Amino acid sequence: MLLELNNIFKWVTTGGQRIFLLKDINLQVEQGEFISVMGPSGSGKSTLLNVIGMLDTFDEGEYNFMDESVYSLKEKHRANLYKQYIGFVFQSYHLLDDLTVQENLEMPLIYKKVKGSERKAMVADMLDRFNIVGKKDLFPAQLSGGQQQLVGVARALIANPKLILADEPTGNLNSKQGEEIMELFKQLNEEGVTIIQVTHSEKNAEYGSRIINLLDGRMV
Amino acid sequence: MFKNHLNIAWRTIKKDKLFTFIKIGGFAVGIAACLLIALFIRNEVSYDEHYANKDQIYRVVFQGEVQGEVMKSTHFQLPFADALQSDFPEITKAGKVNTIEIFGAGKRGMRVNGQKENTFEENFVLADQETFDILEIQLQEGNPQTALSRPSSIVMSRSKADKYFPNGDALQQTIFLDNDTSKPYTVTGIMEDVPENSHLDFDFLLPIEDTNQNWTNQNYFTYVLVNPNTDIPALEQKMSLIVEKYIIPAQIKRGRSADFIDVLRTAEYKLQPVTDIYLKSDLKMQDGLKHGDIKFVWLFAAIAIFVLLLAVINFINLSTAKSANRAKEVGLRKTIGAFRNNLVGQFLTESVIFSIISFVLGVVLAWALLPTFNQIAAKNMELPLSAWWFLPILFAAGVLVGILAGLYPAFYLSAFRPVNVLKGTLSVGSKSGRLRSGLVIFQFTTSVILIIGTLIIYRQMDFIVSKELGYDKERVVVLEGTNILGNKMEAFKEQLAELSQVKSVTATNYLPIDGGSRNGNTFMVDGQDDGGRGVPAQKWRVDYDYINTLGIQLKAGRGFSKEFAYDSINSIVINSKMASELGLKDPIGKKLDNNSQIFTIIGVIEDFHFKSLKEDISSLSLVIGKDVGAVSVKLEKGNPAEALASVEQVWNRTIPNQALNYTFLEEEFTQMHADVQRMGSIFNSFALFAILVACLGLFALSAFMVEQRRKEISIRRVLGAPFKNIYQLLTLDFLKLVVISIGIAIPIGWYLMNRWLEGFAYHINIGWEIFSLAALIALGVAIVTISYQSIGAALLKPTKGLRTE
Ligand SMILES: Nc1ncnc2c1ncn2[C@@H]1O[C@H](COP(=O)(O)OP(=O)(O)OP(=O)(O)O)[C@@H](O)[C@H]1O
Ligand SMILES: [Mg+2]
Repeated sequence: MLLELNNIFKWVTTGGQRIFLLKDINLQVEQGEFISVMGPSGSGKSTLLNVIGMLDTFDEGEYNFMDESVYSLKEKHRANLYKQYIGFVFQSYHLLDDLTVQENLEMPLIYKKVKGSERKAMVADMLDRFNIVGKKDLFPAQLSGGQQQLVGVARALIANPKLILADEPTGNLNSKQGEEIMELFKQLNEEGVTIIQVTHSEKNAEYGSRIINLLDGRMV
Repeated sequence: MFKNHLNIAWRTIKKDKLFTFIKIGGFAVGIAACLLIALFIRNEVSYDEHYANKDQIYRVVFQGEVQGEVMKSTHFQLPFADALQSDFPEITKAGKVNTIEIFGAGKRGMRVNGQKENTFEENFVLADQETFDILEIQLQEGNPQTALSRPSSIVMSRSKADKYFPNGDALQQTIFLDNDTSKPYTVTGIMEDVPENSHLDFDFLLPIEDTNQNWTNQNYFTYVLVNPNTDIPALEQKMSLIVEKYIIPAQIKRGRSADFIDVLRTAEYKLQPVTDIYLKSDLKMQDGLKHGDIKFVWLFAAIAIFVLLLAVINFINLSTAKSANRAKEVGLRKTIGAFRNNLVGQFLTESVIFSIISFVLGVVLAWALLPTFNQIAAKNMELPLSAWWFLPILFAAGVLVGILAGLYPAFYLSAFRPVNVLKGTLSVGSKSGRLRSGLVIFQFTTSVILIIGTLIIYRQMDFIVSKELGYDKERVVVLEGTNILGNKMEAFKEQLAELSQVKSVTATNYLPIDGGSRNGNTFMVDGQDDGGRGVPAQKWRVDYDYINTLGIQLKAGRGFSKEFAYDSINSIVINSKMASELGLKDPIGKKLDNNSQIFTIIGVIEDFHFKSLKEDISSLSLVIGKDVGAVSVKLEKGNPAEALASVEQVWNRTIPNQALNYTFLEEEFTQMHADVQRMGSIFNSFALFAILVACLGLFALSAFMVEQRRKEISIRRVLGAPFKNIYQLLTLDFLKLVVISIGIAIPIGWYLMNRWLEGFAYHINIGWEIFSLAALIALGVAIVTISYQSIGAALLKPTKGLRTE
């Protein structure tokens, strides 16, 4: 078992009233699963993903990640946990504009204090694998959307995460580019990486081994 | 990691050239200003620090109470120094110095034996052998033990010796002063040039040849060298014994009344450390030396701190201002694994790098501006670039300021939670907005205060220069070095007066300018024994044409006239102030007692300013007497160059072997206020610096504000908002802050500048027009900077702002 959500609630209080963003979420994710999260806009998909990724907190319930209770962890510990095991892919790529492709890939490794020579090798490996060696000295603004997302995925992968969280990774891409990314995910999943993606597209959702539907913060 | 930080810092610089330029440039300007001020202050406080025994060297100051007013003086009797040395074991040595022109100090015409030309030299001082030791005068040639012990000796500085004796054989040569071949001087010593930062400046030393050991005439500065660890207050107390032992007997012998003697008993002696003379002397003492002003030192120090503070605030402001753009970066870095301390490190590194670049630029800028600054400040300062401590201290300061300036942005930025940033719910503006508004207000308030200060100082200078002085300084040429005329004086005056371009001529060095002679005396109304206290007043020796040459107004009675033979013996003309001090309603014909000499008042003149306008006009009287240090010539209207040529012809005919030296009374007057004016210019240049720094900050902040709202502006434009609407939206917010700043600045500026003006006996009143002008300038600057940004934004193509999102 990679992670487990039990009776998770999340709310915000406005004007003395609680507005629930997540209601009674129960979810178990095994190592190697590929899960697609679907639901109408505003149903809480991104919120759920952020909670799983420990970027956001929840208010009630129990969340265990690799047998550690996330709720009771200190902020710093929690950060350590996600930094070690989770890679993020975003709809709008979120690459660092000031860094080249190569430097963007290198960044997570620097923070993990990987040694320089080792880092170079890992980056070269990744560039090779994603077929973007020729682009390594370009800045994000010089790449197409699809290429940027490719770099985004590569960056999420480079630190060898157990789990990849992708929030509408193909949202800004045309269908052909989207398909490439999905193929890539499928391949990664076959290699053993656990993936949770949010998507609006039925077709992309089919890549997953399991589909979760959200409606008004509740799993249906 | 560090290399990575450097890399990012470099990319940030490249990406935002304007921002970086303002951030680094503004900081550099601030640092340069600070450096220059620090140099100036360092120079001001360095005066007389070069004496090895500086802690044991003192100048004696006399302090007595006359008519409830504390009177201070630095001039003493000839035997005073010897008495100090013999009567007080604490005093190792006491020496005297005379800087008064009639004794032969000041300006002299000088000629090397065997040459024809006289050269005008300005820096003669009379001193005794003891002074030689006390003031640690270093002789390069000659015997230091005897250099000034014999009459007709002369000691000159190295540079003057090199000038007159290029062959290096100055010692034992013969020199004539003021054409007087009956008294040849022998060069007995070559001394090192007196350091520029000495309170007493001289190129030539002459021995004191006055042998009149009386205890009533006061003409000598007295310096003492005391034993180490002397209890100074106790010594000062003991020194009062001099009054009982020497001065009172001498005055009794002269027939002074008992009341006068009682006044003498209030006298005290103070010992002024030699290092205090330049900066901390009471200017009322009129010692005729150049002085600095400790108040200005403090004022400039305050400005330096303000400028640096402004620059640092700008720096912080600009760094946090950019946080909206960098929030995303922070959020991203955190999601891909950055720890908070990584980010803090990154921002601090960036800040320190910027700071150090700014320091380097600041030093370069200061270096480039130094010559101009030296000119304004009339100094000769240098950056101590080669001093071992200079660069390390600057480097340390750069790192420290960089860290300080970077701390806030670093912690502020690194605290962003990634989820907020990535969701876009983070509104960078709101939370830090109030702080930034506060900083803008601080910045603008400071600027407005400085603008007010600049305007008031400027107005006060103008006021001084154009003030009605009670005499007419226009078209008066002052011929200097006229001692040399000797018995040809009368003929010279007559020839000048005959010239058609000359209105009148007067010979006296008692002039209402610095360097003019002064002569303090005490007067009493004759026969009216008021306790013998008398009125302290100047007694100036002038000639018959003095009053009309200087255009002094007569209020009552008449001026001196050759028709009345007694005018040259016992007639006196007094100023209004003196008449009222003496309590005389109808002074004409009244008799005055001065040192047992009786004068009859024949005229009252209007008060005229004979001292700096910092001081009140005090009592002054004129008597007929001989004082030949200067000749003043009032020219007719017309071409002054022609007139001067004629005057010069007469001079050359009379004194063929010395060039004529002259100045204009008007220039001399300006000179007298040069210190005030100089301080004013220095203040104004630094105020300008500060305002420039503040404006740069405003410019950058408005740029930031516009950038932050670019998306909003674009959307408004798409929705059809007119240009005017957007312009107002952007401008009004900012102007509100400016108006608040002006409101805060006016009372502070009013208070501070009033304090400054109190230092002047004659000063302007601060009116609303000054504040209005300051407010207008501030608003103007603000509107221009903001408009530049707002107009750009309002005219922006809407798609441009949206596309980047
Ligand atoms: N801080 C917050 N305060 C109040 N409401 C919030 C907050 N964050 C999110 N919400 C609300 O929670 C709901 C879920 O938002 P979320 O971003 O998870 O939706 P989503 O399913 O990802 O939608 P989309 O498909 O449009 O991305 C929305 O109705 C949103 O308005
Ligand atoms: Mg979403």
